[in-house]
Amino acid sequence: MRRMLLVLLLMVGVVFSVSQSAEAGRKKDGRADGGALNYGEYGRPSTLDPITSNEMISLRLTELIFNGLVGINEKQQIVPELADKWEIAAEGRTYTFSLKKDVTWHAKEGEEAKPFTADDVIFTYKIMMHPKTVTALKTMFAFIDNAEKVDDYTVRFTLKRPILNALAKFSFKIIPRHGPSNPLYLTREDAFVQNPIGTGPYILKNITADREIVLVANENYFKGRPHIDKFVSKPFADQNIMTQALMFNAIDMIVLVNPRDIPEIQGDKRFILQPYNALSYSFFGYNMRNPLLADKRVRKAFTCAVNRQEMLDSFFNGQGTIISGPFAPGSWAYNLDVQPVPFDPEKAKALLKEAGFTQGADGFMQKDDKKLSLSLKVPIEKESEAVKRVVLAFKNYLKNIGVDIKVEFKEWQAWKEDVFLEHDFDVVFASLVFDDSADISSLFHSAEIGPHKYNFIGYSNLEVDGLIKEGKDTLDHEKRRTINRKLHAILAEENPYTFLWTLTNYAAYHKKVRRVAIHPYKFFSFADEWFMPEGEQK
Amino acid sequence: MKPIALVLSRELVITALLLLGVSFVVFIILFLSPGDPFSVLLEGQMSSDAAREGLREALGAPKAWYSQYLAWLFNILHGNFGTSIRTGLPVSGELLRVGLNTLILTIGSMLVTLLIAVPIALYSAARGMNRVSWPLTMFAYVVSALPVFWLGYIVLYVFMHKFGLFPVFSGTGQRFGMLYSLLPIFVLGVGNGTISEVIRYLRDEMGRVMAEDYIRTARAKGAPVWKHSFKEGLLIPVTEIISSKIPFILGGAVIVEQVFNWPGMGRMAWQAAQDRDFPVIMGIAIMAAVFVRMGSMFQRVVYVMVNPRASKE
Repeated sequence: MRRMLLVLLLMVGVVFSVSQSAEAGRKKDGRADGGALNYGEYGRPSTLDPITSNEMISLRLTELIFNGLVGINEKQQIVPELADKWEIAAEGRTYTFSLKKDVTWHAKEGEEAKPFTADDVIFTYKIMMHPKTVTALKTMFAFIDNAEKVDDYTVRFTLKRPILNALAKFSFKIIPRHGPSNPLYLTREDAFVQNPIGTGPYILKNITADREIVLVANENYFKGRPHIDKFVSKPFADQNIMTQALMFNAIDMIVLVNPRDIPEIQGDKRFILQPYNALSYSFFGYNMRNPLLADKRVRKAFTCAVNRQEMLDSFFNGQGTIISGPFAPGSWAYNLDVQPVPFDPEKAKALLKEAGFTQGADGFMQKDDKKLSLSLKVPIEKESEAVKRVVLAFKNYLKNIGVDIKVEFKEWQAWKEDVFLEHDFDVVFASLVFDDSADISSLFHSAEIGPHKYNFIGYSNLEVDGLIKEGKDTLDHEKRRTINRKLHAILAEENPYTFLWTLTNYAAYHKKVRRVAIHPYKFFSFADEWFMPEGEQK
Repeated sequence: MKPIALVLSRELVITALLLLGVSFVVFIILFLSPGDPFSVLLEGQMSSDAAREGLREALGAPKAWYSQYLAWLFNILHGNFGTSIRTGLPVSGELLRVGLNTLILTIGSMLVTLLIAVPIALYSAARGMNRVSWPLTMFAYVVSALPVFWLGYIVLYVFMHKFGLFPVFSGTGQRFGMLYSLLPIFVLGVGNGTISEVIRYLRDEMGRVMAEDYIRTARAKGAPVWKHSFKEGLLIPVTEIISSKIPFILGGAVIVEQVFNWPGMGRMAWQAAQDRDFPVIMGIAIMAAVFVRMGSMFQRVVYVMVNPRASKE
């Protein structure tokens, strides 16, 4: 009996000491820690660092592993992250960040955790901008002139010229100076890109033979230990199988549900379907180098001829928003006064006749005895099924107004070569991501016409050029808003693109995961707050 | 020189030449196909000319096609398959990992094919067409006409919706996951379309051997017929047909790997082709060619062991 008491006392002692040491990093919101979240991804990530990686699967992982100087909260406001506070001086040309002092890098086993300092920030900036670093980020940060270390916990960035919303750009992820083996530049051959070290809520533990990526909670995370113990990213080669894996509880979450599978998941009470904005849009773009398409009446006729709502409803279960311009609907830049052109095939025909076309005996429009016949080039992507339907519907809509569309499906790289390099197309179907600062200069400014540039349709309009420049130069948010509203109206009238829609993405997860907030683009930004109630952790 | 050594050395020379040819053809196809790995690395961003220039600087300016090929060949001869452009990981390690998985899948499915086909073939060779062998043969013919992608999805569907099981091996971490790996092996074994050919070929060969004089002699003096006919009537035809069917089975494996989430070569090839990941594509092409050659080498060795005179042919 006495011995049992002793054992009991010992056990209590052990439990007490364990709970005390774990207490240090815990969040003080009273929610349960523990559980593992297995999430399914369609495909495998390329690299796991924030600099060389450039696709969504990697982006989501780096969001769990790394932090930026500033972050964005659920209300889309800029909040401190690795930086405590900041000062903007010299009329918006210098940004001075004071860094948090208690942040440490993820420690490898048996090693002491290294502290995060200003050197790491400078290092990240330098390595990112090094000409030999393989990254797509360089152009985004070309606005920074110089970065300097003031002291161990202060850094100062000098901008080439003041720009609007510069602060948001300092959310780029910081990597440690002791991370990459080459201190000058980073390529995908560096071991660091598969074995990243960050400051974020989760630490990369290992990658299994099946290429599952296992992340474990960072006990010393500076915002408090994340609630869920483990995140596992599981690659799937087939979207149907991934959905079935969710239905059979083999995974707990799908970050992007195949639109076709939405009804199946919706009908199941075990799961929650959560919408988040895709922040990308689809469009048909017209090559201005073709004299027929240089006439804006023709382009407008095409926009009138397509029934966008019908396509959205029947191909995407109506999960999206029809747009009339190149800005994210609901954002400050979007002009709600510009309504999408309504579906009106009669008006479309009238416009074509106005442009000098006559309807021939075969039903097709013609001018100077030449049939109005155009090529449409479409990239074959992974989720090509819905794309195919949209494209064929487009062909039929235009046939109704007497336009012959020849659809050519091209393999992705071949398509890019045709569109961006050779400019060999009449019409393209494509999707783009909205620029986060509503900057459309690369798409519509005439200086951006040329091989590998994004104004691939060759759109050139002096008024638009002027407005874009004015908008970029101004520091007045209201003025920029007015300019963007004007740009939106002009582009909607000119129809260089037939803007289609922005789709709503859905994440699906088991309802045992609570307090799930999703960043519309980066996804896992708030994952350290997610939790699973005790008793439901499996 | 021993017959086997002679055959092996001859086969090895052929293999080396063949691999050289395969690598050259694959390289030329890759070189001529549109798109380059540079644009893949900058995917998803507005890539400026400056960024592209920097990339070229980092990865080295592209050389003329022949020097690219020769450099690759030189590295291969030193056992270096290069690193993946997409992930930066060494190709050889990745190849070994996925190659092993694919090997398990293909060898396993070949065993399944043989387990089904050989008994049917032997039975009908011995007894002729009767009430048992005819339906069995017909059944095997019908089954081997089923396309493998269809069979895969049907089997999955039945397991999920009828039995309430989730028979996907990789990425699920469930109990009995290993057992589920038998399912894709079975599907590929049945669906690779070779069962009917194995049956027909074996039956004919066995029938031919059974009619030979030495079998008649064996039968007359009461020696076991099966033992005498085994080498000529079963072993050689089986190795022959297996080695000639390896390319088809590898092709089917691509689909089965996709359907069952099997982390093998086919899936990797699919991804690499989309990314223009040259070193990986080349590695996989070489690996597949090695598999095929290994099959025919095996067949030659068996043949010469059975009949040493053949090494002089």
